[in-house]
Formats: sequence, structure tokens, C-alpha cells
Amino acid sequence: MMAASPAVKIVEKRRLVPVAVAVGGPGPAGEADFLRQAGVTGMLREALLTVLEARPEEPVAFLADYFEKLALSRAEETGGDEPGSPARQQRLDRAIWYLRLAHYSQRTAFHNNVSIAYECLSGGVKKKRPGLNGRIYSEVLRRICREGAASEEIISLLLKKIQCRDYEAVPYDLFRYSTLTCFVLLEFISKADSLYHVLDDSGQADKRVCQAVLDTLGEAIMASDLCVPTSYLEAGSKLRPDCLALAMDKALLTRRPSSFMSRREFLSEAAVLFLTKVKPIN
Amino acid sequence: MARDSVLCTIKGPVMLQVGDVKTDFARAGVAVIDVTFPHAKAVDVQEIVFKNYYTAFLSIRIQQIKYNSGEGPRIWRTCLRNHCLMHNPHTEDGSQEYTSLFRQQMLCDLDQVTSLRLILRQPSPVWLNFSLEEIQIYQCGQENPQKKFPLWLSCLLSQEQPIKVHNELPDTEKVSSEVQQMWVLTEVIQTNETGARIGRFDVDGCYDINLLSYT
Repeated sequence: MMAASPAVKIVEKRRLVPVAVAVGGPGPAGEADFLRQAGVTGMLREALLTVLEARPEEPVAFLADYFEKLALSRAEETGGDEPGSPARQQRLDRAIWYLRLAHYSQRTAFHNNVSIAYECLSGGVKKKRPGLNGRIYSEVLRRICREGAASEEIISLLLKKIQCRDYEAVPYDLFRYSTLTCFVLLEFISKADSLYHVLDDSGQADKRVCQAVLDTLGEAIMASDLCVPTSYLEAGSKLRPDCLALAMDKALLTRRPSSFMSRREFLSEAAVLFLTKVKPIN
Repeated sequence: MARDSVLCTIKGPVMLQVGDVKTDFARAGVAVIDVTFPHAKAVDVQEIVFKNYYTAFLSIRIQQIKYNSGEGPRIWRTCLRNHCLMHNPHTEDGSQEYTSLFRQQMLCDLDQVTSLRLILRQPSPVWLNFSLEEIQIYQCGQENPQKKFPLWLSCLLSQEQPIKVHNELPDTEKVSSEVQQMWVLTEVIQTNETGARIGRFDVDGCYDINLLSYT
């Protein structure tokens, strides 16, 4: 008898919960039923999936952010499209938050998030005209780039290629391509930055050396052709350490007066190389 | 990098017959295939490739320009004698194998060959017919597909030794690794290209009135 009594108590405690709910109003009988009807099961499931996709360093902060965005999206299901309206701003925030959730190299997760962002940007306004207009599209791209600390000069170069007019409708594929381009460009710029630091070893990056390295990169970018697989080997071979050393050495031997290349200048020149591969929108 | 075989005319196989062609059915077990090059071209033969069809032994005789320049009977030189294609003529072994014969295996040189005669022997009565199929002849100079070999690839091996650099340079290993990563990123963009279009009706800011009329 003594051993059985704690078990009995637990059962009684458990039973208390549905009773408490029943006091508030007529509700579903079981716990699982309640969770399902309230949408909590699906919500938590999605939250867990998002965490698994994003694998954040601080899960608590991430989840807090996630639920905050979720609450906002519930509250702002309807809202105006005027620039500057809080609802629009929040939609934009949410879309960008989704876009940043997963790194683009995690393809499935990234594509998932892009489509959620696209829906969230286009669906909320007027159901009659689904689709994303050029104005919000440009704003999203601009914000992604700005938050990634790209210089205005580079941003305008990029937007010149992939921007469209305010009144034009942007199909999903284009949205995906453009957001991906922004993220890759940001990573490219950060790589260029660390390259500049290597070249800037002595504190002053020689313009001739920088130019030689950029030219070699440009050659490799030009040489690689998707239709000719061996061209990748060839392009890659141009970027071998010894080839680069030769190119840099040759550059230093030229009689041109040596000057210095600023970081800003280097990054813009590198970005221009990158943009040659970006397909312009038409 | 496939090499091209030499264009040639192949005649045969012609069976050696003993006695009357119509009445005598005894087979001698010898057949001859003649190979000639069009326009009396002379070829420096590097390799002969063929697929066997129940031939047990192969001999090859050749005619060359250097022995046949003047008048008089043509001179045949034997460059291969009773080369064994089937280990045991009565069994299937090797009966349908591909064989490749190189000039190094031959008894004499194979320069300036104008025609070849392949003499096929099959002593076993088990096989009614025997022949060689898919005969292909390759000439010298094509044996190595390095003709189309890109220069940069051969450089990979030849420049193993450290390069003498005259000036002080930044760390080339690091530079190379960063530049390579940047290059890869440009490729990411290219592989993700999309065919989607905005669907503009206007060209250079001007609309075509015909396209607008029904919209």
C-alpha cells in the first residue's frame, strides 16, 4: 500500500490540468487534442525545424526572435503597402530575417526561406495582385547589402545590374537569384577584404601587385565556361600560388612608379570583376 | 582526345581454296585480308588494332615504298609471323578478343607502308569461318594524344621546383587561397543563373505601341 500511494498522487495531479482548462470554458478533452487545436503542435514543430535548419549559436535568443516575428506576422496579417507604413516595414524586417536564417550553401533551407520571404513580402498586401513589386524588391536587396557592410558604391553597381523599376512585378525565380547574388557578393567582398589584408602585409599595398592579382582573377573568371568542363581546370591552374607569384613578380619589375591601392579601391575593383558574372535583369 | 585511324580499304577475307572452286569443299584453313591506302598513300604504321573472329594465327606482310621504287616484281616483307591469337585453336579462348599490335612487336620497320596483307590461319576444322573484324590502322605521330594536351596541364609537373622570385612578395599561398575562393564564389552565381524575366514590353525606355494596344 505504501509503495502504491505516490503513483496515485501523480495521476491525480495530471488530471488537474484538463480540469483547470474546463473551468475557463468548454475545451478539448485530452492534452494532445488541446495542443493540436490551438495550433501549438504545428507551431513548435516548425520552430524546431527552423532551429535545426539554422543551427544558431544561441538557440534561446534565436527562438525568442522567432516567436517575436511569428507574433508580429499574426498581428499584421493585414496592412497597407505605403512606404514607411509600420506594417510594411515589419514585413520587410521579417522577410530579411527569414533570408538570413540559413546560409545559402545550405541549399534546401535557403530556398525554403527565400520562398517564405517572398510570400511574406508579396502575399500580405492585396490578395488580388499577388507578386512582389519592384520597389520592395529593390529595398530588400539594398538592405541585405547594407547590413552586410558593402559600400554604397558597390551596392549601386550591383543594383544597376539587378534592379528593376518600381512598378514591375518580380517573379520568384528572379527574387531568389537576386537575393542569392547579394549574399554571395557580400561573402565575395569579405574574401576580397581578407585578400587585401594579405597583400597589405607591410602596411602599404602596392598598386601594381594588387592589380596583377586582380587581373589574374579576372582572367580565371573569364576563362571558366560552364559548357567546357576542362576550362575550369585551366582557370584554376591560373590561380596556383606559383602562377600568382610570377604575375606579382612581373608586376613589380615593371617600370611604372609604385603607388598604393586603398582598401576601398581594391574592393570596388574586385566587385566589378564579380559583377561581370552576374546576369543583368531584362 | 580520341585518335583518328588512317583511312584504308580492306578487302577480304579471301579463303585459300585447294582444287576446284565449285566441287571441292575442302578448306585449306588459310584466309587473306588485303589492306591498301587510298591514292597510293604511304603510311608510317604505328599500331594495328582488330577484333578477332576465330583466327588462330596471324602473319602480316607489307609492301614499302623504299623496296618498290623501281621496276620489277614487288617485294613483300614479312613483319609478323604466326602470331598466336588463340591459345588452343580448337577452343574458344581468345577467339573474339581485341588485339593491338605495335610496331615494336614487328620483325621489321613499318615505315612508308603502301599496303598490308594479313594472312590468317585456322588449322582447326571446328570453325567454319574465321576472320578479323574492325581493323584499324594508326600512324605514327598520333600515338600520343599530347597534341591536344593543354600547355597548362603539362606545366603542372614541370614547374615543381620553386620559382625564383626577385622581389619581396606577400604570402603567395594565402593570396592564392583567397583568390581561389573568390573565383569559386563567382561560379556559384553563374551556376544559379535563372531564366526568369521581368517581362518588359519596352526597349530602352520606349514602348512598342503594338504590344500595348491590347493590354
